[in-house]
Amino acid sequence: MKAQIKVLVFLATAIQLLFTTPMCLAEVDGSCTMCHKYPGLGRIEKAEGEQAKKTKRLFYINNKLFESTYHGKIRCKSCHTGVEKIPHTNAPAVDCATNCHIVDPSTNRSFSHKKIVDDYNNSVHGEAGSRIKDKSDLPVCKDCHNNKTYHDTVGKQTDSIHKVTVCKECHESEEFVQRFYEHIMYRTSKRRPSKDVVKLCSTCHADQELMKKAGLDAVVGFTYTFHAKAIKFGNEEVANCLNCHAPYDLGFSPHRITSRQEEHSPVSIENKIMTCRQSGCHVEAIDEFSLGSRVHPSPEKIRFLMSGEEPVPEENQVIKDPTFQTKVVGWIQLFYKVLITVVVGGLGLHRLLDMYASRRERRIRGH
Amino acid sequence: MNDTVNNKSQFIRLTRSQRIQHIILMISTTLLIITGFMLQADRWFISVLGNASEAVFWWRGFIHRVAGVVVTVICVYHLIYVVVSKEGRSWFLDMLPRVKDIVDAWQNIMYMLGFRKERPQMDRFFYLEKLEYWSVYFGMFVVIVTGTMMWTEYLWPKFYIDVAGAFHLGEATLAALAIIVGHIFSVHYNPHVYPMNRAFIDGMISEDLMKEEHRLWYEREMNKKENQQNGVDDNAK
Ligand code: HEC
Ligand code: HEC
Ligand code: HEC
Ligand code: HEC
Ligand code: HEC
Ligand code: HEC
Repeated sequence: MKAQIKVLVFLATAIQLLFTTPMCLAEVDGSCTMCHKYPGLGRIEKAEGEQAKKTKRLFYINNKLFESTYHGKIRCKSCHTGVEKIPHTNAPAVDCATNCHIVDPSTNRSFSHKKIVDDYNNSVHGEAGSRIKDKSDLPVCKDCHNNKTYHDTVGKQTDSIHKVTVCKECHESEEFVQRFYEHIMYRTSKRRPSKDVVKLCSTCHADQELMKKAGLDAVVGFTYTFHAKAIKFGNEEVANCLNCHAPYDLGFSPHRITSRQEEHSPVSIENKIMTCRQSGCHVEAIDEFSLGSRVHPSPEKIRFLMSGEEPVPEENQVIKDPTFQTKVVGWIQLFYKVLITVVVGGLGLHRLLDMYASRRERRIRGH
Repeated sequence: MNDTVNNKSQFIRLTRSQRIQHIILMISTTLLIITGFMLQADRWFISVLGNASEAVFWWRGFIHRVAGVVVTVICVYHLIYVVVSKEGRSWFLDMLPRVKDIVDAWQNIMYMLGFRKERPQMDRFFYLEKLEYWSVYFGMFVVIVTGTMMWTEYLWPKFYIDVAGAFHLGEATLAALAIIVGHIFSVHYNPHVYPMNRAFIDGMISEDLMKEEHRLWYEREMNKKENQQNGVDDNAK
């Protein structure tokens, strides 16, 4: 798909020439950084098409940062399986289901993300689970896991120092306890600010065109909900997309997001109320709380409904809407628009007339 | 306090109780408008707040609720006030809409357009003041009911909350704009009282302004004063 035009191969060629000796063709695990430690390593790529956009790709790996990522203990080649000999040609894409040499202590087997990959494949975003024909619209691991993989802040939390001391009562290695303490702390804390989650999901779900193809409503209406407004201010207590569509607490996960038509979906008609009643949320909500209107109705939709048009043709519409409720809200908004125009306009006009009259008075008096 | 003649050139426009009610209403409404419309703020405003935005969000919610309670209390108090106290009853009666108000409005507009020589003579409250006063009844009813619903969101179906939210926002927008255009402009930029009608602070209205803007009321007050003096004289005899 991409025409890879090598515009810039900084040190690259030089280094490649340098290492074309048999000595370096041997298995050189760990020596990847030999070349990739150079900040200049990279190239500029040009995408095909009319407005060819140039993207700069950096192949520079900062060793210290790499070691502090959660992949820091994994050898480059465990993931980059295609790189067999040095110097190498284009590396094949990384498959997240690859087994790595790290052993999962809970099973003593080599670890991989295979379970996640399989789950994901069957979710609404996965190739097997999705309804849409054009699978290239679906997100892949890298689309969502675009956050930085290093977490250098967890260890710096002040209270953790005290807690790590406890571990050192039994475990001698400072590095060991620090690592595993962080391992657990990181998983029990919120890893992504709500703002980022909303931004991430909105890249696709607020895209009218893309969503129309999938027969879904664009979720732009979420911006107008109280949850979204609180999130904009940086509040972390209200629900973001994942708290409703993939609440860990109720046994769901971001990799098992399902359509709300599925019975077991956290947003299906039956399960919705449990999702609302999660601890810290609307715990005491009445049964009817989740019924009736949409949680994040799209204002686009309101507009279309008011004008009598259909946003998505009925037969393509995956989910039939409670249109009446959506319309009522639209009517109220319309009512106030008219009322405000009349009242404020009237008052303003009255004011202007008054000013006009008193200027006249002054003129008459002045004469 | 009573709202009769004080001295030769000054009359009581607002009694102390009315002024206090007004100031409480003014402060709490201002807070409500500010903290409420913060929710409609765009990214730019929030980015200005920087790291404080989360705290600001908490405080805005807190202040909005406190001010909401204060407004509710003052409204209930006012309802009791207009029933129980003498000055309240007189206020309420003078505020009741009459046919004259429609005639006044028509004639005043005709005057302002230049089709009439004279402004109509107004009583204690003229039609815009009455409109504002009764709008507050309507508006407060709407925002208090919908606000309470949203505060107790878990007791209602989501649809009710959506409806409440739409009403709350609509009514608040209407009120805020009406206050700015109708109320603040009329008490600040009224050519007769510029730069500011001080009645809401000291409660007084000058005899001139009273004659000019509330002729009928002025005459009523003067009659009352005469009767009173006569009455006093009668008693003395
Ligand atoms: C001899 C120096 C050298 C060594 C050693 C080396 N690389 Fe590279 N690598 C390069 C250069 C140069 C490029 C840029 C190639 C290009 O522009 O086509 C690159 C590019 C890459 C890319 C990006 C390829 C793409 O097109 O997306 C990956 C992934 C990669 N290297 C992985 C590795 C791994 C894993 C190792 C260790 C097993 C390794 N490299 C060792 C020089 C090296
Ligand atoms: C946990 C698996 C994993 C490990 C370990 C890993 N990588 Fe990667 N690396 C990836 C993935 C995923 C990508 C994204 C490209 C892709 O999807 O193929 C990538 C991309 C790269 C790129 C291209 C960057 C770009 O902008 O396209 C380079 C260069 C690279 N890796 C080098 C290394 C080196 C050197 C090491 C060892 C220090 C290493 N990687 C270790 C998974 C890994
Ligand atoms: C790369 C684009 C993309 C991203 C990013 C993305 N989605 Fe999706 N999502 C889609 C597409 C396309 C579909 C339609 C799949 C289908 O119809 O089978 C979909 C479907 C869904 C559905 C099912 C709707 C239904 O009821 O049928 C939910 C829920 C959902 N996504 C939530 C999320 C959440 C939450 C996030 C953020 C963590 C997210 N999505 C991120 C593209 C994306
Ligand atoms: C729709 C977006 C999305 C896609 C696509 C996605 N993930 Fe995730 N994944 C998340 C979110 C959100 C989390 C929760 C942790 C976070 O917020 O970073 C998560 C967590 C994880 C975790 C646990 C990380 C941790 O530290 O707890 C792993 C492992 C993971 N994903 C692997 C994958 C793999 C492998 C794929 C591709 C099959 C994938 N993910 C695709 C959104 C996604
Ligand atoms: C009372 C002594 C003691 C304390 C305190 C202690 N541990 Fe352990 N830990 C052990 C023992 C003994 C084992 C191995 C036996 C087992 O698996 O239960 C172990 C096992 C572990 C393992 C599993 C290692 C593996 O590969 O199987 C981890 C990780 C770990 N501890 C982390 C911690 C952390 C982090 C703390 C501090 C919060 C901590 N420990 C506090 C005694 C302790
Ligand atoms: C407060 C909980 C909540 C939050 C937060 C939330 N959703 Fe939803 N979402 C729902 C529910 C519930 C439904 C099912 C329809 C309904 O009942 O309103 C739904 C439906 C959807 C659908 C299906 C749309 C359709 O046409 O039916 C998509 C896609 C979706 N949500 C994506 C998102 C995205 C993206 C975000 C974040 C920007 C998000 N949601 C935030 C609760 C939520």
